[in-house]
Amino acid sequence: MKIKNIVLIGGLSLLSLTGCTNLDEKLYDKYETDTFYGSPEAADVALAGVYAQIGGNWDGVGYAGADNGWYDLNAMTSDEQVIPHRNTGDWQLDFAKLYKHDWLPTSSLVNNTWNWLYKSVFTANLAVELLEKAQADPAKIAEAKVLRAFYYYLLIDDYGNVPFYTNNNTTVDKIPQASRKVVYDFIVKELNENVELLSGVKGGKYYGRFNKWAGYTLLAKVYLNAEVYTGTPKWAECLATCEKINLAGYSLHSGVENTTSPLGNKYYELFGDVLPDDETILAIFTTVDVVSRNILTVRSLSGTHAKSLFGYNGWNGTVVPKDFFLKYADADIRKKQFLIGEQPGSVNYTLEIGSLDNPGAPPQAGVRNTKFYPAGLNTGGGASNDFPIFRYADVMLMTAECHVRLGNAGAAKSFVDAIRQRAGLAVLAADPTLTDIYDERGFELNWEGHRRQDMIRFDTYLLPNEFRGASPSFRKLFPIPTAALDANPGLKQNPGY
Amino acid sequence: MKKKLKNNEKQFSLFKIDLKLKLTTLLLLVAIFNSRADTYAQKTKVSLELNNATVERVIETIEQKTDFKFIYKLNDIDLDRVVSIHVKNQNITVLLDQLFKDVPTEIIVRDTQIMLKKPTIIISNTLPFLLEKIKGKVIDENRMPMAGATITEQGTRNSVVTAFDGTFEITVQSNTAMLAVTFMGYVSKVILANQINPTIQLEPETTSLKEVVLVGYGSMSKKDITGSVSSITAKNMNQGAIVNPLQLINGKMAGVSITQTGSEPGSAPSIRIRGLTSLVGGSDPLVVIDGVQGNLDLLNQIPPSEIASIDILKDASAAAVYGSRGAAGVILVSTKKSKEGKTTVEYTGTTSVDYIPNPLEVLNSDQWWEQAQLVGVPALANHGANTDWFNILTQRGLTQTHALAFGGGTDKFNYRASISAILQEGVVINSKSDKYIGRIQATQLAMDDKLKLTFNLNTGIINSTNSIGSIGRAAFTSNLITNSYFVSPTTPVYNTDGTYYNDPNVFNYLNPYAAAQTVTNESENNNLFGSLKADYDIVSGLTAGWFGSWRKTNNMYGFYLPAESTDASAIDQKGFANIKNEKQSERLMDISLTYKKVFGDHSINYLGLYEWQSQTYQGSYAQARGFINDKATYNALQMGNFSNVKPGDISSYKNDRTLISFLSRVNYTYKDRYLLTASLRRDGSSVFGENNKWGNFPSVSLGWAINKEPFMANQTIFNELKLRGGYGVTGNQQGLEPQKSLSLVGNTGVTYFGGSQITNFAIIQNDNPDLKWESKKQTNIGIDFSVLDNRVRGNVDAYTATTDNLLFNYTVPQPPYPYNTVMANVGSIRNEGIEATLSYDLIRNDNTTLTLTGNVSFMRNEVLNLSGSIDGIPLNTNYVGWGAPNSYLVKGKPVGSFYILQSTGKDNANAETVLDRDGNGIIDQGATSPDRVYEGSALPTYTFAFNPTFKHKNIDVSVLFKGSGGNKIYNSLNKSLSYQESIGKSNVLTSSIPLGMYTTQYVSDLWLEDGDFVRLENVTIGYNFLFKEVKYIESLRLTLTGNNLLLFTDYTGMDPEINLSGGGTNFGNDMGIYPRTRSFGLGLSVKFK
Repeated sequence: MKIKNIVLIGGLSLLSLTGCTNLDEKLYDKYETDTFYGSPEAADVALAGVYAQIGGNWDGVGYAGADNGWYDLNAMTSDEQVIPHRNTGDWQLDFAKLYKHDWLPTSSLVNNTWNWLYKSVFTANLAVELLEKAQADPAKIAEAKVLRAFYYYLLIDDYGNVPFYTNNNTTVDKIPQASRKVVYDFIVKELNENVELLSGVKGGKYYGRFNKWAGYTLLAKVYLNAEVYTGTPKWAECLATCEKINLAGYSLHSGVENTTSPLGNKYYELFGDVLPDDETILAIFTTVDVVSRNILTVRSLSGTHAKSLFGYNGWNGTVVPKDFFLKYADADIRKKQFLIGEQPGSVNYTLEIGSLDNPGAPPQAGVRNTKFYPAGLNTGGGASNDFPIFRYADVMLMTAECHVRLGNAGAAKSFVDAIRQRAGLAVLAADPTLTDIYDERGFELNWEGHRRQDMIRFDTYLLPNEFRGASPSFRKLFPIPTAALDANPGLKQNPGY
Repeated sequence: MKKKLKNNEKQFSLFKIDLKLKLTTLLLLVAIFNSRADTYAQKTKVSLELNNATVERVIETIEQKTDFKFIYKLNDIDLDRVVSIHVKNQNITVLLDQLFKDVPTEIIVRDTQIMLKKPTIIISNTLPFLLEKIKGKVIDENRMPMAGATITEQGTRNSVVTAFDGTFEITVQSNTAMLAVTFMGYVSKVILANQINPTIQLEPETTSLKEVVLVGYGSMSKKDITGSVSSITAKNMNQGAIVNPLQLINGKMAGVSITQTGSEPGSAPSIRIRGLTSLVGGSDPLVVIDGVQGNLDLLNQIPPSEIASIDILKDASAAAVYGSRGAAGVILVSTKKSKEGKTTVEYTGTTSVDYIPNPLEVLNSDQWWEQAQLVGVPALANHGANTDWFNILTQRGLTQTHALAFGGGTDKFNYRASISAILQEGVVINSKSDKYIGRIQATQLAMDDKLKLTFNLNTGIINSTNSIGSIGRAAFTSNLITNSYFVSPTTPVYNTDGTYYNDPNVFNYLNPYAAAQTVTNESENNNLFGSLKADYDIVSGLTAGWFGSWRKTNNMYGFYLPAESTDASAIDQKGFANIKNEKQSERLMDISLTYKKVFGDHSINYLGLYEWQSQTYQGSYAQARGFINDKATYNALQMGNFSNVKPGDISSYKNDRTLISFLSRVNYTYKDRYLLTASLRRDGSSVFGENNKWGNFPSVSLGWAINKEPFMANQTIFNELKLRGGYGVTGNQQGLEPQKSLSLVGNTGVTYFGGSQITNFAIIQNDNPDLKWESKKQTNIGIDFSVLDNRVRGNVDAYTATTDNLLFNYTVPQPPYPYNTVMANVGSIRNEGIEATLSYDLIRNDNTTLTLTGNVSFMRNEVLNLSGSIDGIPLNTNYVGWGAPNSYLVKGKPVGSFYILQSTGKDNANAETVLDRDGNGIIDQGATSPDRVYEGSALPTYTFAFNPTFKHKNIDVSVLFKGSGGNKIYNSLNKSLSYQESIGKSNVLTSSIPLGMYTTQYVSDLWLEDGDFVRLENVTIGYNFLFKEVKYIESLRLTLTGNNLLLFTDYTGMDPEINLSGGGTNFGNDMGIYPRTRSFGLGLSVKFK
């Protein structure tokens, strides 16, 4: 009896135990990294991931379009736009501090931008590594390397001496804070070695990607600012690079004078849903809430104004400072992007902002901007307008600038005139001066993220304005964010902060 | 006037009862009691069929099936004697006679107590000199005569036994002789033999010693416990409209901290046993209900009224039997069961009304406008209305509970079934929760009673309508009710056309009333758990057991926010709806062998167990937007507009985990006073990294019952004195989610590449093949005592617990890691504490008892280390932000330490100024800034509760005060409601006016407040009616309960009881909570017969 019992219990136990010692982890809803990147499709995925950084994913920080990232930091420290605190309580003082050159190393914008750039560098390094390991198409490897150079260019432009590495298989303590010059040299070398390998196709599969011409535009930008970065100007190199692009068949987009379009001008297409291939060299593709977003117009217009135009409330944020707006000639077609005075939705925008912080601007103070007039799918969260990183008008003005700087103003005139004529303005009476170039860059490229860099290059960045006195020269660089210093005690803060 | 006089007369007459009446009453009471006392033994008919069973088995069987409890000395009774018993529907005495028919045993049956002892050998007194003859009587605590008590003349072998009526007669040598009166289970007394007809009253030994305590995979007598275990039975639990079992034990146990953050219907309190022992590994204790294991949500799935007892394993030596699931402590719940021969039908119901005791004070429209003008707010921001937003969003809440339970049993079978409903309507409009639970439990004996089968099934539905938890403008996202503080009082609720008002001039304006009225935010939780337990007696003392349980939970969350809610994202999307379905399946099976044996002075109890657990989690989510109307809400997503599908609109997931365990445990007792418990559990889990699949969790604990030592025999101070000490290792793996050790690729939205929109992939997790459980090593020393005739009882425990291999999402350098954090075991934290519980019977007599009970716990938490290395890469983790703003993890300080800038006031522009501590002219706001100063931690350093209970005849009163302190709270809500810069779009606190600050660029200690508080948590007054004559009702109990009646605190927020349960930005941070209510309830409990 007892033995029978024990056998019975033992038997039952064994039955239950069978197959119950397996502790392997099963994956149902994710991919294992090794298997995933080992596959041939992964090369494109890795490369696409680097581009995803530029746009920012649907809720992230990117190059432009979304809130609180690289664009705001660079644009609002210049003279072309600012978000004032409103005396109705809206908007924190962060943006006003940017305009007043009063930012701190703890500023979330300074920190967001840094994090975004280093995450991008990391992603680019990863793509280079994976593509090289997979012996991918050399054009794709070159593309990843050019993207990496692009991010480093943005890093030295904003922060000066920055940590520099190209291989992810290292550790932070082994990444030195390289001087601006070292990183500059790397960028120049990397671009010179790789741009020629890039595709020459414009648009289509290469829309939103670095083709050869986008690569050269980047190189030209780096040369253009070489004096700021290294103390040694590279005007001739810049000019030579621009000339390559000038031969690539780009032109100023003439557009169709379309009176039914909301803006009633030909610039509507240039900043619309999908940007034209004739002028656009590199764009950020945007479909609101899906791939990135463009908030620039909805953030500017007042609540009721946007509501009456599009059916959703505007944010009543960004305005154009009086001095910047007043520089435009009345005949300039481009002035139509600005809105002042009475508008639908019973609003009346005023020229004067009044106060940026305390007590803040009245709700309808400030000139508004509709350069990126909402196109495609658009909601209160933003629109689908693509954003031009590089376009041919910029290259033309760079060409002109190099000519002037090299003492050949006569060669510059046609480039500047072409841009003026498209804007409905008369040609210049004389050969362009540096001031003409500087102003024309402001008129043409406003709100496209170039203004801070231009102001520093033309030495206007520190000049006093309506809301502040002259700034100290250390403001030409942003501080290394406090969080980055906390994480890596080896980093040295930029002087002055 | 007349009426008053009458009252006085009546009152007076109450005190004027004459002596005769008093005596009559007393006699009557005695008679009733007497009849009641005998009733059980006389009435209860017992049937028992046992062949070749040990005496111990017979005794256990009787105890399980009936309310009878046996009391005996191990040396007196041969428990291993094998007998066969056959009785059917007989009185218990018949059974006992059969059981001991060949063995001379003295059997005394008193009510439900059965005392067994060796027959006292009466030495016939043949001494020639007989000097004194003493007659006397022995009575018990209820003044009932005690038959069978032994009277011994000290120093001689001269003794007698009391007769049936408690009387005795003994002849002693002189009137200076000492007589010792002893009775099993009672405290012995010694008297001088010079008294005339002494009546000697004996008091029972501390009843707690006889209690049985659950210890995990079995139970033990409380006297044998060597670890730190807090136990409470139903009769001592909190009363009132209890909606969650944790409320039953709130404040009742030292070292067990229960926090109720807000009173949202359906929300459960959080519980921490001896503090925060983990950062991300989870500090929620394991819950075990009748053997079914689960996370804290399991507790929410059983009806509080069906709980018979709750035992909490606090220290590692006790919890180590649960190995890698035991680190945060274990809550063992035993539900009510039926007994043989007794039929139960009982109804319990409560109704309570709930109020909000102290809302924050914000400006009314006149005050607002006056203040707004001072800071230059334009007139267009004043909309002319005067709306009390908080008021219109709140209402009086109502909580009801109903429970009907019935059951019964025969000798082979018993069952209990119950149905409960817990219905809550919240104090915020459109928030409610309805919970319905059905339970059934059955036990059957078979195979000559060698096989015992126990089946449990519990199923419930919880339907909730929740107030929106996270909504509001970009600058301030919080729950819906908190949003009501922010709306300017001048904005109206409605437009003139009856639609909800929306201020287009305020960025992301939210009309909280519109959102509350138009949202659909529902959840449904369906849960089912059941278990089967089979125990089989193989041979004498050896039992084999099989236990299997299956728990299934399905959750559905449905949400619809229409455009008319005024929420900006809802307007953009023309309304959006989503539905989330979650499925959880947890299976457990164990096989065990138990061996119990007594060899002379040695008693041993061994348990060997194999356990297998598997848990699967699965779910899906879908969202759609742009509905033509609001009728279908989330019930027909296909009616949305599909031209605009976003990434994240559709998703699903699945993961699982397996845990395999081997457990050995031995309890050894020598002479009933030296106790040893040792256990070893070996756990293997699929969620551990591949290099660390298995872990060992040993424990050992010792106990010494000092009062049972011979040298203590003659002292009368201590009724009980026990010293305990233990050490154990427990682990934490349930907080470790599946797949955390692997390097994973996941999707991260959509990107544009190669001419089309494609899914973007990225590495979303670093691998860590060394990932394993957190190990908590705890040492506990404790003492249990009972002194002064058992009037004062208590215990004191001191412990130190170190959690090593601390799991944390460590920030790792990127490079070389492809992702910026890794889940790893690097740091360690320590908790130390002392806790004490003390009870004092201030009044203890026949009619009245007043017991003062209190407990206090002091604890200290310290981050020992967060740095180390992973794969040889140094990891310097210090000053990691954790919880509230300015709260950090800092080596050598408690978790959640506030290192903060000191506010010094304001400058000329009314901007806040702070102290530049290092005087370098720069206010450094970095984490390690020298301008910061340590100002305390979010963790309380002490908690206490005071719980007087009073009983007089049929009335009982229980009062519970509870408090904690030593902690700081960052009052984010007040901060957001205090700067005048936002007044144009938002309301501010009344207190912000004298403060007069316009803006700040710092997060300073201006908003750091002391969190100390004392709360009058619960007052319950009960009245019991006992019916002898009423036909169908046995008893009826009425209670009146008040909850959260008083709050003493300096904290300026709504309530200082805020989230302290662990991570997240809410830790130590008051961002606004669903209001905590004050409630008044009426309860009724009826037992039918």
